[in-house]
Amino acid sequence: MEKKSIINGKTIFGIILAIPVVLFVAGVLSAQIPWFSEKPPLEFNSDMDNQFKAKTQQGTSFFADRATSRPPVEGTVPREGSKYKLQMNEVASADSLYKNTLVKNDFVLARGKNRFNTFCLPCHGADGKGQGKVVQKGFAPPPSLVVQKASDYTDSKIFHIISAGQGVMPKYADKLSEVDRWAVVHYIRSIQEKNGLKPNSNQQLALSTSTKGE
Amino acid sequence: MYFSKKLENQIKLGGLLVAAAVGCLFLTGYFGFNNRVADKGYRPEQPVPFSHKLHAGELEISCMYCHTGVEQSSHSPVPSTSTCMNCHSVVKSDSPKIKLVKESYENNTPIEWKRIHYLPGYAHFNHSRHIRAMIDCASCHGQVETMGVVHQENRLSMGWCLDCHRNPEQYIVPARPISGIFTGVDPMNAVNKETGKYKLAVSKPITSPQFGQYETEIPKTIVEGIPTPKHAGFGPENCSACHH
Ligand code: HEC
Ligand code: HEC
Ligand code: HEC
Ligand code: HEC
Ligand code: HEC
Ligand code: HEC
Repeated sequence: MEKKSIINGKTIFGIILAIPVVLFVAGVLSAQIPWFSEKPPLEFNSDMDNQFKAKTQQGTSFFADRATSRPPVEGTVPREGSKYKLQMNEVASADSLYKNTLVKNDFVLARGKNRFNTFCLPCHGADGKGQGKVVQKGFAPPPSLVVQKASDYTDSKIFHIISAGQGVMPKYADKLSEVDRWAVVHYIRSIQEKNGLKPNSNQQLALSTSTKGE
Repeated sequence: MYFSKKLENQIKLGGLLVAAAVGCLFLTGYFGFNNRVADKGYRPEQPVPFSHKLHAGELEISCMYCHTGVEQSSHSPVPSTSTCMNCHSVVKSDSPKIKLVKESYENNTPIEWKRIHYLPGYAHFNHSRHIRAMIDCASCHGQVETMGVVHQENRLSMGWCLDCHRNPEQYIVPARPISGIFTGVDPMNAVNKETGKYKLAVSKPITSPQFGQYETEIPKTIVEGIPTPKHAGFGPENCSACHH
């Protein structure tokens, strides 16, 4: 009787077939493991992933200074609102040039609060008293916004300070749209009122401006 | 001798085949399924040792302070140097770690931050669409405010996008204050008060006016139980929504 070996042609053939499959699966699986890596992976075939177009944060060989985010062409006008015209030291003209025409309502206040907490809170603190986290780490402490002095400022003056900055406070005209800035002004007014102050609002509602023209 | 001559030849041939398979298949398996797009855990060294853990985590600077454009644009730009200088003109202005930022600001040269998240050129993602639906950054980027060095948290595969589009409730983290996402009058707008989970607002079409105009409020009608973006725009599974 012939001894039957377990290793016959069929099993060997099976193993040979199985090894590549196992390896392939192992390769796939190890690619799924999120190793922390400092280098991007090698790509054998990157399909059409990398197209000749500029993505943000990628230098481009198209411009000499390699920047992909370009300054606006000279004479460009913003699509919404207008460029803030005054420099930091031209506070005096703010009252006549910029009037608060935004109607105050819950929605505007909510928007103002959201923008205030995003852009002002790091320095001025959530309560406006000037004790933000960045100040605790060494930024020049801003004066409180909920004192008589600040509530005596007109809406236009606060708008000016947000748009053009004051002293070491940076300007926010590039980060907040014009309407958003007025919404922040309304919000500051509302926290001043909560602290028992009577803000010197020089608000001029849209109604009166629109009746005088046309 | 255990094997017959024929079998021995077969084994030799098999050995060669196996060796070839080791080379090709492991590598195709590995690299074929690991490209820049899917590279979860990618964490390049940046030109400036900037830490989100410090700025967003400890100092509680909201994401939108720096990544300002997310609400309006498809991209969430990494901030320009002037944004850093808002604070670093005063704070730590002499630190050697800030040197490059200062130079960049003074000479008007961009800092070349290495890009981490990278969709292929033929797939289009739009941040504003998701941010206005009050989806938190953490749903897609993980808890960035705990990362000393940002890494990619998710494989940006098509399946990943579609998983969420089909069952948003399972994947979406509702807007958190640190992100600075506007949730309308009621800050709990994005959350189902009972389950604490995200609920989807029927949002405005992509072309609707910016927040700047305020005539149209952020979604007023909140439809519960229909947590799919099926009503809006192209529809979340329409190829041309992402591959236009
Ligand atoms: C980087 C820190 C910082 C941020 C962010 C910041 N401020 Fe200021 N702010 C200051 C400092 C510092 C001053 C004091 C400037 C001075 O007079 O020298 C100031 C002053 C002011 C004043 C004038 C107060 C007074 O009594 O004269 C107003 C109003 C104001 N900030 C509003 C805002 C608003 C609104 C925002 C958000 C859009 C904001 N600030 C964001 C630092 C900051
Ligand atoms: C002080 C400014 C600042 C704040 C605040 C900030 N970031 Fe960033 N962020 C940066 C800078 C600078 C980079 C580029 C350098 C890097 O990747 O570390 C970046 C990179 C990123 C990236 C990787 C981008 C890429 O290349 O793919 C993500 C994702 C990100 N930030 C998300 C967030 C989130 C989420 C928050 C809020 C929790 C946040 N950031 C807060 C400045 C900031
Ligand atoms: C709102 C204010 C603010 C902004 C904007 C800001 N930082 Fe900072 N950053 C700080 C403060 C405050 C510290 C110091 C924390 C401390 O003292 O521990 C700091 C620390 C740092 C440090 C560590 C410095 C050291 O010597 O330890 C680096 C690097 C840094 N920031 C880079 C950046 C970059 C790059 C940007 C722009 C994308 C930026 N920061 C934007 C407030 C800010
Ligand atoms: C629905 C998922 C999703 C949400 C929510 C989301 N992101 Fe992204 N983010 C992405 C994807 C996908 C990319 C890659 C885009 C590309 O390569 O074109 C990306 C890229 C980025 C980048 C790199 C620059 C760019 O835009 O190309 C930054 C920075 C960033 N996100 C920050 C944020 C911040 C801050 C928030 C929250 C306000 C946020 N993201 C919310 C999915 C998301
Ligand atoms: C965490 C969940 C989530 C992830 C991940 C996600 N999305 Fe979305 N996406 C949504 C939701 C929710 C909406 C519907 C928003 C609305 O109703 O305005 C949406 C809407 C869209 C739309 C508009 C669809 C239409 O009807 O016109 C596009 C395009 C889109 N997403 C692309 C992407 C791409 C590309 C990715 C992957 C890189 C992605 N999304 C990942 C949740 C997600
Ligand atoms: C929610 C957005 C979204 C929708 C809808 C979508 N895709 Fe994709 N698709 C992607 C993303 C993101 C990638 C890139 C994935 C990657 O490279 O890993 C992709 C990749 C692809 C690829 C290339 C795959 C590869 O690895 O080379 C093809 C082909 C494709 N999509 C076809 C389609 C078709 C057909 C449809 C409609 C049935 C569709 N897609 C709908 C987001 C989407």
